[in-house]
Amino acid sequence: MSKLYFNKGQLAEDIWVQVADDAPLQNDTPSIISLSRFKEQAASLAERTGPLGVRIDAGSKQGEDVEEIADRLDQLDLIAIDFPAFRNGRGYSTARILREHLGFSGELRAMGEVLIDQLIFMHRCGFSSYEIDTEQNKSLDSNHFTDAFARFPDAYQPAGDDNRGILWHRGQS
Amino acid sequence: MAQHSAKGAQFQVITANRLHDGEVVYLDASGAWVADLKDALIAEGAEALEQLIAQATAEPCATGVLDIYPFEVIKDAVGQPIPASVRETIRAAGPTVRADLGKQTELR
Amino acid sequence: MYRYDEFDHQMVRARVDQFRDQVERRLSGELSEDAFKPLRLMNGVYLQLHAYMLRVAIPYGTLSSRQMRKLASIARDYDRGYGHFTTRQNIQYNWPALERMPDLLEELADVEMHAIQTSGNCIRNVTADHYAGAIADEIEDPRIISEIIRQWSTFHPEFSFLPRKFKIAVTGHANDRAAIRFHDIGIVVRKNAAGEVGYEVHVGGGLGRTPFIAKKIAEFVPAQKLLAYLEAIMRVYNRLGRRDNAYKARIKILVHEIGAEEMQARVETEFARIDGKGNYDLPVGELERIRAYFRDPDFLELPSDSETLSQALAQDPDFAAWFKNNVVAHKKSGYGIVNISLKPIGGIPGDASDRQMDTIADIAQAYSFDEIRVTHEQNLVLPHVKLDDLATVYAGLKEADLATANIGKISDQIACPGLDYCNLANARSIPIAQDISNRFAELQRQNDIGELRIKISGCINACGHHHVGHIGILGVDKKGTEFYQITLGGAPDENAAIGDITGPAFTADKIVDAVENIVDTYLELRHSDERFIDTYRRLGMPPFKERLYQDV
Repeated sequence: MSKLYFNKGQLAEDIWVQVADDAPLQNDTPSIISLSRFKEQAASLAERTGPLGVRIDAGSKQGEDVEEIADRLDQLDLIAIDFPAFRNGRGYSTARILREHLGFSGELRAMGEVLIDQLIFMHRCGFSSYEIDTEQNKSLDSNHFTDAFARFPDAYQPAGDDNRGILWHRGQS
Repeated sequence: MAQHSAKGAQFQVITANRLHDGEVVYLDASGAWVADLKDALIAEGAEALEQLIAQATAEPCATGVLDIYPFEVIKDAVGQPIPASVRETIRAAGPTVRADLGKQTELR
Repeated sequence: MYRYDEFDHQMVRARVDQFRDQVERRLSGELSEDAFKPLRLMNGVYLQLHAYMLRVAIPYGTLSSRQMRKLASIARDYDRGYGHFTTRQNIQYNWPALERMPDLLEELADVEMHAIQTSGNCIRNVTADHYAGAIADEIEDPRIISEIIRQWSTFHPEFSFLPRKFKIAVTGHANDRAAIRFHDIGIVVRKNAAGEVGYEVHVGGGLGRTPFIAKKIAEFVPAQKLLAYLEAIMRVYNRLGRRDNAYKARIKILVHEIGAEEMQARVETEFARIDGKGNYDLPVGELERIRAYFRDPDFLELPSDSETLSQALAQDPDFAAWFKNNVVAHKKSGYGIVNISLKPIGGIPGDASDRQMDTIADIAQAYSFDEIRVTHEQNLVLPHVKLDDLATVYAGLKEADLATANIGKISDQIACPGLDYCNLANARSIPIAQDISNRFAELQRQNDIGELRIKISGCINACGHHHVGHIGILGVDKKGTEFYQITLGGAPDENAAIGDITGPAFTADKIVDAVENIVDTYLELRHSDERFIDTYRRLGMPPFKERLYQDV
C-alpha cells in the first residue's frame, strides 16, 4: 500500500522498517518487530544498541497485551499499534496505558487501518505518529492533517494529552 | 452484500438506495436506477444475476447509490416483478401503517 | 434544565462543520461508503427500509418548548411532517435526505440540539427517570450526573470505537423508571449516612438477542470519583470486549463470561490506576454549576386541594378519567405530573405530528415551566403543572388528540418501528399494536384490566423491549410469514425480570386473540388488587400456557 507518514505534526520520511519474525535484525537499522519476537528473544535483544520498535496487534478476539512488556519499555524507541480495522478501537486504550500508566515516552505510532478523521482522537490518546494508507484516504496532503487536529476548539474530558478538558477548566476562566 | 433471496431463486431484481436522498431504487435494463419496481430488470438464473451484480457494483453504475443487493421476485401476468418477500413488498410501496407515505402515493 | 455555554456551542458547531465536510466528500465520491458509514453513524444517520433515518439526541429526555418547536419545524421542512419518540428518549425522523442533513443539524444546533453519538459503537444518549425533579422521595435529580456523563462521553477519544454500542441509564429514585438494570451501565443515585451523594453502579444489563440483568459491582462511588470509575469500566470493556463476533460484543457478554466478581476486580484495579493520578476528580465547582441548572423552578406555594380541579372533575367524566390515569402526584403541593399519551386508540405508538409537537410546546411553555420530558415508553410528560391548570391543559391536549387516558394500561404499548420502517426487522410490529389497541379500546375495560404493559419488537434486537414487557411480543419470520412469539412476566424496574416464552408463535391474525386469552385468564384468576404482573408472579406460566394452546 502507499502510505503517508505523519510525525510530530509534519509529513515525514519513515526511517523505520518492519522486520518479519524469521528475518535477521540489523543493529543500526531502526527496526520494528512483532511483540511475540520481542518476548521470545528477550536475551539477545537486551544487547542491541540500535533503534528498536515493537508492533502491537489489536487483534479481533482479545488482542495482544502490552502490559506483558511493561518492565522492558526502556529498550524501545518506538511502539507501533496496529489497527486491523478502523472500527477496532482497542488500540486507543493500549496507547493510553502505555503513556499514562507505563510511562512510555518514545514514538507511539498508529498504523493499519487509520482514517484521517480518527487522528485527533489518536493524538489525545498519546499517539505521536501516524501511517495513513492513501487508498482509503484519497488526495491527502499535509493540510488535511493540520485541519484534522484544528477542527475542534477544545475537548470535554481528560485523556492522554495535556488538555484536561472543558469539564475541568471551565471553572477556571 | 445483503441477500434477500432464497437459494436457487429463478428471478431476481437488483436494488439499492439513492445516495443523496435515500430513495429506494431498482436497476433497469439500461443500467439506470429507477424508482418504480415495475420498470426494473429481472435477472433470470444465477449466471445472469452474477453478471448483473458485477455491473451494478462497478462504476459508473455504483456511483450515486449505496447498499446494492439482489432480491427474489416472481413475475406477474404481464411479466412485471412482484417481490417474493414481505420486506421487499413493503420496501417497494411504503409503510403499511401510513398509506399516505412512500412510493404507494408517489407512484400511483 | 441545562443550557449550553460557549464551549458546548462551539463543539456542536464544529461537529456540524465536520459532518458537512464529510457529506460533501461522500457525495463527490471522494469518500467511499465504507469509510463514510462509521462517520455518519456517529452522527445518528442510518439507512433504513425506505430512506435514511436520523436519530436526534434528547439528553435524558428533557426538552424546552423552543426545542420542541424546532423538532416540529424540522419535521415539516426536512421530513414528512412527523417524528417518532423512541425507547431511549430520543426522536427519529424517517425521511431526511443526506444532502440536507448538514443544514438540518445546523438548525438543531441553533436550539442546543444535535445527533451526536446516537448511533455507532460509542457511548449513546444517557437516559434517566422521566419524572426527575418532579416526583417525591427522589434522592437527587438523576439528570445532574447524566449531564456530566453526557459531556464526559462526548467525543471521548478512547471510547469512540468500542466493540459495540454502549448505553447508560440513571435513576435517582427507589422506583426505577429508567430500567437501569437493562443497560450496559446502570446507575442509582444514593446518599450515604453523612448525606453525601454517591452512585451505585451496575454493569452488563441488556436486552437484544441475549437479555441479561445487570450485576451490581459498586455500592457507593463518591460523586467526585464517578468519572474515573466509569472510565475504568469503559477501558476494561474496550480491551476485553470481543471484536470477532458482533453478537458477542456487548459488555453484557463479557460480564457473563468472566463473571461479576472478576469484572468488579478488573474495574477496581483499573480505577485505582486512573484515580491514583488525581486527574479525574470531578471539580466540586463544576458539579455545583451543573446542579444549579436542575434546581426547582419557581413553584408557587399552593394548597394541596384545587377548587378549580375539583369542579372540573365533577363536571367532565372524560377529564376525570384522564386525570385518574394520566396525572401523577407531584412532590410539590398544588402541582401534578401530566403524562401525554402518544398511544391513541388504533394509532402508531410514539409518533407525533408537527402540529402536535407545536401544541405540546405551547402548553409546556404556558403551563409546565417550559419543560417537556420524553419517556422510554414512547410517551411525553409535562413535569410541573398546577392542579388549577389541569383542566385547561387537558382541553388543549384533547384538541390535538393527545389526551388518550391510557397511561400504563393495555393500550399504552411500546412498539418498535418494525418491518414497516426498519432494515433489521423480521416482522411488522405497529399493526399488531394497532390491532391490540382496537380490541381493547373501551376505557372501562382497560381500567378494569388495570396496569398491563405490552411491549412489541419486530426482531430479536428488541428495540421494543419485549423481554421486559408484562406481555412481550416478538415478531419473527418463519419461512417468509410473519409470526409472533409471546413472553410473559417481564419487568424493567427494580423488580427486574426477563419474560418467559409461552410456547409456539402465533400468526398475525391469531395474536390478538392470544393476548385476549391471556388477559381473560388473568381476570379469572386474579386476587383483588392484583395487577397482571402480580398474578403472573403468583401463578407462573401454567394457567396461561394452558389457555393459549388448549385448541392446539
